[in-house]
Amino acid sequence: MKPIRIALTKGRLEKDTTRLFEQMGLDCTELLQKGRKLILSIPNAGLEVVLAKAADVITYIENGVCDLGVVGKDTIMEYGGSFFEVMDLGFGRCRFALAGKKGADFYAGYGEKTIATKYPNVSRGFFKGKGMDIRVVRIEGSVELAPLLGLADGIVDIVETGTTLRENGLEVIEDVAPISARVIVNTVSMKLRKAEIEGLLHRMEQALDLKNKGE
Amino acid sequence: MLKNQLITPEGTKDDLFEEASVCRRIAQRLCGLFEKRGFAEVVTPGLEFLDVFSVEGHSIPTEYMFKLTDPKGRLLVIRPDSTLPIARLCATRLKGELLPLRLYYNQAVYSSNPALRGRSDEVKQAGVELIGVQSKLADLEILSLALKSLEELGSPSFRLEIGHIGFFNILADSLCLDAAAREELRLLIEVKNYPAVGDILDRFSGRKEALILKQLPRLFGGEEVFRQASALIENSEAAPILSYLQQLYESLQKLGLGDQVSVDLGIVNRTDYYTGVVFKGYLEGYGEPILSGGRYDRLLASFGEEAPAIGFAVHIDAAARTLMREQEVRIPPAERLIFAEPGREMEAIHYLNELTSQGVKAELSLFSTWEESLEYAEKRGISRLEKPGLSSSGGKVQ
Repeated sequence: MKPIRIALTKGRLEKDTTRLFEQMGLDCTELLQKGRKLILSIPNAGLEVVLAKAADVITYIENGVCDLGVVGKDTIMEYGGSFFEVMDLGFGRCRFALAGKKGADFYAGYGEKTIATKYPNVSRGFFKGKGMDIRVVRIEGSVELAPLLGLADGIVDIVETGTTLRENGLEVIEDVAPISARVIVNTVSMKLRKAEIEGLLHRMEQALDLKNKGE
Repeated sequence: MLKNQLITPEGTKDDLFEEASVCRRIAQRLCGLFEKRGFAEVVTPGLEFLDVFSVEGHSIPTEYMFKLTDPKGRLLVIRPDSTLPIARLCATRLKGELLPLRLYYNQAVYSSNPALRGRSDEVKQAGVELIGVQSKLADLEILSLALKSLEELGSPSFRLEIGHIGFFNILADSLCLDAAAREELRLLIEVKNYPAVGDILDRFSGRKEALILKQLPRLFGGEEVFRQASALIENSEAAPILSYLQQLYESLQKLGLGDQVSVDLGIVNRTDYYTGVVFKGYLEGYGEPILSGGRYDRLLASFGEEAPAIGFAVHIDAAARTLMREQEVRIPPAERLIFAEPGREMEAIHYLNELTSQGVKAELSLFSTWEESLEYAEKRGISRLEKPGLSSSGGKVQ
């Protein structure tokens, strides 16, 4: 039988998911000592794990080369795509927010607003909902710099604690959307390997419930 | 040299040798099947007016169509789909024809996809439309033809999945959701976002329709789905739909394909376009449906002709790609290479004609010496070199 191939987003989501897999009693030795290997196997469970950057997880799932993936809602909102989004894992929790200079009225005046962001689609979508035209500037590094340098009126970015914002004289103006880790599934795998995938999802759900009760 | 002289536009490609012939063989097999089942071929133009595709619920949004203008400044598109042109055809040149009409097509469709996702902008499709009859028998005819088409692709592991657009439409109507909330719910059911569907529907605490909708995305699989659904759905407005779908499922079982037919009550794509049974076909090893179709009884009315219709399309390149995966792409060698001795070229060509008319795949050597021809034959994988009267093994031919 072909193993179920799982794509995990490298970094924090990978660690949280590995912990969840351990709670499910899976042998995660290869995941914990991965070295330079790109495809890791979980023995005796018929599972194979691939580590990838967030947006690549979506690409692999969409094209069906991986069956199941763990990715943040932020990536799903920005990149879209066609797949099933079946479970909210609850960890990796943070939010998208609109932030600007402390004390400044972002919505004041008739001038077009400029938003600096790593998430142009999320930003456009948010302001489209308000019927507002904005100019979006894509920034790859610290977006907080853009309003400080006068390039942008505000930023749309992921906010966890808000410390970076505070230390740079910025504040949250409005929440855009909550974010957490999601399980996504290829649409064809879900149908052709229903029993295996639903079984796995069920075990993940049980482990999550157990963990939540423990906390 | 110009900048883009050596490349093809993103989302397009050249089909070489095996790729081209596998695509053609698949198309031929499907078209042969459609012909034998009494469907007649139509070819619609590659360019159409944009207006033809400005129909509610059309699968390709205007922004993804390739557009150009005619000399009068009217907007044209490069054909993004074959069903709408056929609907146009039925409402005009085929108006008043004896019904039912059984039509098939085998042509490419074009749409621009978001870049760098590995999607094709040019997709070869073969498909059928059965126009003028709305009945269980008509549905069964098309569903069984879809199954036969999947079988015809030659891979043993295929699956046809059936659903009905009525579940969502009837249940959502009864909750009186406004358009935005209805679309939000539809999208969440489409992507099987179980938790978010639950969150929305918990607002209608205890309403039977909300409870059914909440379960809808989970109701997919084999026969057990009908058992799970019937307790939930009985006495609701959706009950007749469930029993209809079950009748279709049980009828298809009689074709002896067992678990190659499955159901998904949570198919909710294009709810304003489809009106009845909807279905998708899958091949193992390909991440997207390879066949899709459904009943669309309102479409022809938007072209001014009231007539029910049902049809499906098969994605030929996807099928070819899945079937040839891991196969090496090379030029299939001829069986014989014919050497043309200087001064006796026409004899060689005459012999070549003779061989090909006997059904032997033969190629003319364009080299002027026997040795060069032999070397070429070896490299190309052609097993016999011949000249009129003599073969490489030294034996007389004929």
